[in-house]
Amino acid sequence: MNAPRHFTTQLAVIGSGIAGFAASIFALNRKIATAQVGNTGAVAYTTGYLDLIGKRDGVADVVTDPWQALASLRETEPTHPLSRVAADDIQRAFAEFTAFLGECGLAYSAPGAVNISALTPVGTLKQTLCVPATMAAGPHALAANAACVIVDFRGLKGFSGVEVVANLRQRWPRLTTQRISFPGMERGEVYPEVMARALEVPAIREKLAEALNGVAGSTSIIGLPAMLGMHRPDHVRAELERLTGREIFEIPTMPPSVPGIRLRELFQQVLPQKGVTLVPQQKVTSLSFGDDGATLALSDNFGPIRVHAQAVILATGRFLSGGLEAHPTGIREHLLDLPVTQPAARADWYRARYTDPRGHPIHRAGIEVDDSFRPLTSEGRRYHDRLFAAGVILAHQDWIRGRSGAGIAIATAFKAVTEAERFLSGR
Amino acid sequence: MAETAIASINFKEAALKLLPEGANFEACLTCGLCSSGCPASGIENMDPRKFIRMAMLGMDEELSSTPWIWCCTLCKRCQYVCPMSIDVAQLVFLARGNWPEDRKPSGIVRSCQLTRASDSTSAMGMPPADFVSVVEEVLAEVRATQTDFQQLRAPIDKLGAHFFVNQNSREPMSEPEEMVPLWKIFDVVGADWTYSSKGWAAENFCMFSGNEEAWREVIHKRVDAVNELGCEVWLNTECGHSYYSMWHGIERFGLQANFRLESIVTYYAQWIREGKLPVNSQWNSRGTKFTVQDPCMIVRKAYGDAIAEDMRFVVKTLVGDENFVDMQPNRSANYCCGGGGGFLQAGMTEHRRTYGKRKFDQIAATGAAYVLTPCHNCHSQMLDIGRFYGGRYGVVHLWTLICLSLGILGKNERIYLGPELRG
Amino acid sequence: MSSDATTLETEVLIIGGGVTGTGIMRDLALRGIHSLLIDKRDLCAGASGGNHGLLHSGARYVSTDPGAAMECRQENALLKRLAPQCIETAGGLFVAVEGDDPAFAEQFPALCRSAAIECEELSPGEARRLEPLLSEELFKAYRVPDATIDPFHLAMANVDHARLINGSVYRPHTEVLRFEVAAGEIRAAICHDHLHNRPLTIRARQFVNAGGAWAMNIARLAGCADVRLLYSKGTILVSSDRLAQRVINRLRPPGDGDILVPGGTVSLLGTTSTRVDDLEQVAPTAEEIDRNIREGAAMIPALAGARYIRAFSRVRPLLQTVGATDRAATRGFALLDHATQGVGNFCTITGGKLTTFRLMAEKTSDLVARRLGNDQASATASVPLPDDEASSWADPAAAPKRWRHDRDPDDMILCECEMVPQSAIEQVFASSPDIEKERTIELIALRTRAGKGPCQGSFCGIRIGSWLYDQGYYRDATGLAQMRDFFDERFKGQRSVIWGQQAAQMELAEALHCGLLGLDTLGGDQ
Repeated sequence: MNAPRHFTTQLAVIGSGIAGFAASIFALNRKIATAQVGNTGAVAYTTGYLDLIGKRDGVADVVTDPWQALASLRETEPTHPLSRVAADDIQRAFAEFTAFLGECGLAYSAPGAVNISALTPVGTLKQTLCVPATMAAGPHALAANAACVIVDFRGLKGFSGVEVVANLRQRWPRLTTQRISFPGMERGEVYPEVMARALEVPAIREKLAEALNGVAGSTSIIGLPAMLGMHRPDHVRAELERLTGREIFEIPTMPPSVPGIRLRELFQQVLPQKGVTLVPQQKVTSLSFGDDGATLALSDNFGPIRVHAQAVILATGRFLSGGLEAHPTGIREHLLDLPVTQPAARADWYRARYTDPRGHPIHRAGIEVDDSFRPLTSEGRRYHDRLFAAGVILAHQDWIRGRSGAGIAIATAFKAVTEAERFLSGR
Repeated sequence: MAETAIASINFKEAALKLLPEGANFEACLTCGLCSSGCPASGIENMDPRKFIRMAMLGMDEELSSTPWIWCCTLCKRCQYVCPMSIDVAQLVFLARGNWPEDRKPSGIVRSCQLTRASDSTSAMGMPPADFVSVVEEVLAEVRATQTDFQQLRAPIDKLGAHFFVNQNSREPMSEPEEMVPLWKIFDVVGADWTYSSKGWAAENFCMFSGNEEAWREVIHKRVDAVNELGCEVWLNTECGHSYYSMWHGIERFGLQANFRLESIVTYYAQWIREGKLPVNSQWNSRGTKFTVQDPCMIVRKAYGDAIAEDMRFVVKTLVGDENFVDMQPNRSANYCCGGGGGFLQAGMTEHRRTYGKRKFDQIAATGAAYVLTPCHNCHSQMLDIGRFYGGRYGVVHLWTLICLSLGILGKNERIYLGPELRG
Repeated sequence: MSSDATTLETEVLIIGGGVTGTGIMRDLALRGIHSLLIDKRDLCAGASGGNHGLLHSGARYVSTDPGAAMECRQENALLKRLAPQCIETAGGLFVAVEGDDPAFAEQFPALCRSAAIECEELSPGEARRLEPLLSEELFKAYRVPDATIDPFHLAMANVDHARLINGSVYRPHTEVLRFEVAAGEIRAAICHDHLHNRPLTIRARQFVNAGGAWAMNIARLAGCADVRLLYSKGTILVSSDRLAQRVINRLRPPGDGDILVPGGTVSLLGTTSTRVDDLEQVAPTAEEIDRNIREGAAMIPALAGARYIRAFSRVRPLLQTVGATDRAATRGFALLDHATQGVGNFCTITGGKLTTFRLMAEKTSDLVARRLGNDQASATASVPLPDDEASSWADPAAAPKRWRHDRDPDDMILCECEMVPQSAIEQVFASSPDIEKERTIELIALRTRAGKGPCQGSFCGIRIGSWLYDQGYYRDATGLAQMRDFFDERFKGQRSVIWGQQAAQMELAEALHCGLLGLDTLGGDQ
């Protein structure tokens, strides 16, 4: 076995979800030397939409003004992680995060005053704060009831233009649909990921443009399942628009979806280029604190790795990413066995009905932090001065039902990095 | 003659034994990231997720006999993108080993037999004596015709040399002049190196055939050869699977290696940084664009991104930052070219090219005129799919460009360069 | 209410689409009698679909009920011969582990012998070689001819055969609300057709109550008070993996967590037994789950850490007898002819068990046929159940095997876990009851393996939904509502076993269904 490789850094970010990547980006912008580790598989499940708050508990209506919702959340749920970050900071965090993505070739709409009614693959609408530029034209066309054709593909499972149209017909009478074959993939199953990568090739774009023009008729706006390139989506969309002479937007698909893979590949490629030590796809096996810093242990294919850091941000996510583990006897935090606030008994984790609009109590479980976002022990003391936490591992939020996953990740990462910076500079 | 039947493997049980807890087939969320990102998806109506599900559904007979296992290149990209890190390749490897020899793709079997047939461990069956004489002949030719290299050396069986250098058989067998650029590089940096008459070859199709015993035997021979010469470093030259089969084989079979394993790419980068290889991009005044292909076997499956960074440093220095276009995806997330895992030798041309379409699109998207890669299988496959799909790119070894940049590339060492660089 | 459009006529109306009801339908058809089978939900919605699918060798009952043991032994042999397509002859083991009563174990072979049930002793080593996951604490093991039977496949095959023989009809989602009784006979059953949400009158000469746990309620609708049932709630867990090849029984008096039954690619662990009064609101409790696992792990330690994908509770009807415990002496069946209740063309069959369903159907059909003046004997003990294609889609790996064989790359796999392709769904549609013009996710889920794997329908529900829209079966938001209902329904079975890997799977599912698609706010999303 190869000898351990050692990396020394100021800040170690554990977890490679949106929270982890946001933390690295904020740290990078603050010139904090950063190492990031952790499995990035789950990022690939995201839609590309960056939600702040799309729905409030027990309120049937959707949230159109997330900032106002944030203000009332502070009143009703002061322990909610979003209630513990200043609204200005949240605004700044979103602006900084989306600007970074834009600089890296994945343009986003800037955080606005109100939510965007974004499209879903089944023809429902979702309230979100920022959407990738490739998806922005859809909500505009919907709002304007513009003539638009959804084009889907033979062999692409789980995305049906007929379904999108059927469910949007009331709101969008001028929406129609057509089905074509993707050039060169006429038979068998096709994956959005494969189509997206193929569209990075100019010759294939030309063929697709031809096929699109063949079915679009006089319609000047085309909606596609998310597949407008993987690495240069804005360029691919612009080129397709030029070739077709029509406006084009994309709609996220069910996993495995292109927008999530785009984010994963962008992060994995850009952050190391900008100086972050990134060890993706590997889980940290231990984290220990000494007088002069923290040590993370993990391994990759090549052998063991040790990361030595002055401060650590725990952004390991929930059950899907492995930050929390649900055992028959209770919910545990995986790495440090931090105390987890949770329902009294397993029987209370889930409500009787899956789609109960109130959501399930298990999702509100999580770790506790103080105002500096340092995790707390069961006695209410800081676990360690060097340890901070961010993302959906935090208690008192339901990111799924609140439509607030990215918001919690970005806002709390911003806060955790701010506090970590204070700690690092104060020494 | 009747074909030997393929016995059934209990894949679920095998997975339970081979894969770690939490990353077993049972951990599968059936999300499909593996299949979405696998160039072999769809071939023979299979993909990695189907492989896992068929194992879990007890379809052992079908899995045991599907030819798809020879189209999966064991590149482990499915594991890389899996949130649960499930390793399908290990089970595919097991299935390969389970096929009777007479049913396995004959090209792979034949290459393995040849590898075992002589002390060279050459998949093309080149005996030690032939290798020695080819090296000597080529060396004599260079000394005689290239005035700057009248003292060029190509030591063989030199005891105690620092580097034990391996060599893909393709050069001594079919394009011997292609060995010369590497010798020149060693000459320029003053490396203390040697070939060996025993265990010099790089290829290991025994590994691809799924034959553990044969794989072990080949690696054992090579390890012995390095130990015998007392070299400090086994230096893998521009061949991908050679590194993986040796590095992983030594651990897998618990062999005693009294040396380090290194890749030539690491040394190219080191020598450039140290100023020993004074290369630059001035020769590329036309602004010819280059991309690189990360071989799975040394990047994703072994070193990880560190060596991919070294390779980019080398290439950018050679061609100019502005003339380097990265392939997407790249580094550890790169696609296998479709030549790996023995696919090139498996005789399944149509499937192999279907697989390679992904790679072709990746290259086409870069718009690069050349692909650089330190791997012979990648090299051959990319040339083939380029021709087949009408690409206009060339495929070049790193050693060619290094010598080109240094102005020491001989006229007959340019077969992979286009006319504009044949000088 | 206009009569013609909503009135159906048949010779015999059978109420209850469990294995018994479908068995009666087929038995009658073989005697040339036309019947209409209705169920307020669908096939096997009650105890028929809520058990382990064990085809008893009879050994389980040798100590408590030798009569039942012998009945099981006979039916087991018959069904293996006549309906092999529904049966896996897995074999069974009875095992005793440290702490179990050695005396009970010792007397077991003799008891089996007296019920004429094959029983072969295995050394602990042999037993563990056959089933490597068996506990090291094992000290006694016997091999018996237990098997497993797929009740869904069986019920569908019964229905299909009856339809083929004489056009007998099955209608799901049809609930009896009351009976029209006159002159000591039921004239009609007044029903509600839930699928089309309209009333329906069914006229027949004979009425059979095969309502299982609901039989007492149905009998009372006809004024019959002689059906007295106790309700026993049983909870069973389903693991995502098949942990044993054979049925593993605990060699001790019947109790909780004493049996692990293979079911295709999964294993079913049961059963707890609790008396309940309410028939409709039964769900597994954490305590029952833990008890099953704790007890089961004594036989198979891996059960403690296994990934479970479902748990369900179903109510078994137990015939009320004085002084007996729920587990003992109440597993027999009863056929009540209701003559004493003043209704001459009505009977109730209840109690019993999956293994003896054929015998129950035979006895019931004997009574019905006699009343109709039909003197043909039952043929179900000699006529094999035809193997038909559509009902076999319910078998694990049947779909992928055929799909691999056909090798049509355009035949998309819609359920990736169980590898159910479009073509399987098309075939199921082609052969499903005429009434179900509506092609729904629910119907696909009942008649194929779709949604039965580790993701429990969370991905394929969406893919099948899209496909149904594409095919024109859904044209408006109904499809989304049914998708949501399908996920809600699947969730009921998952709710009590969501931990470990399944918590990750559920988080992903909910993020997709609610976070993205907004199925938790359908109709109110703007």
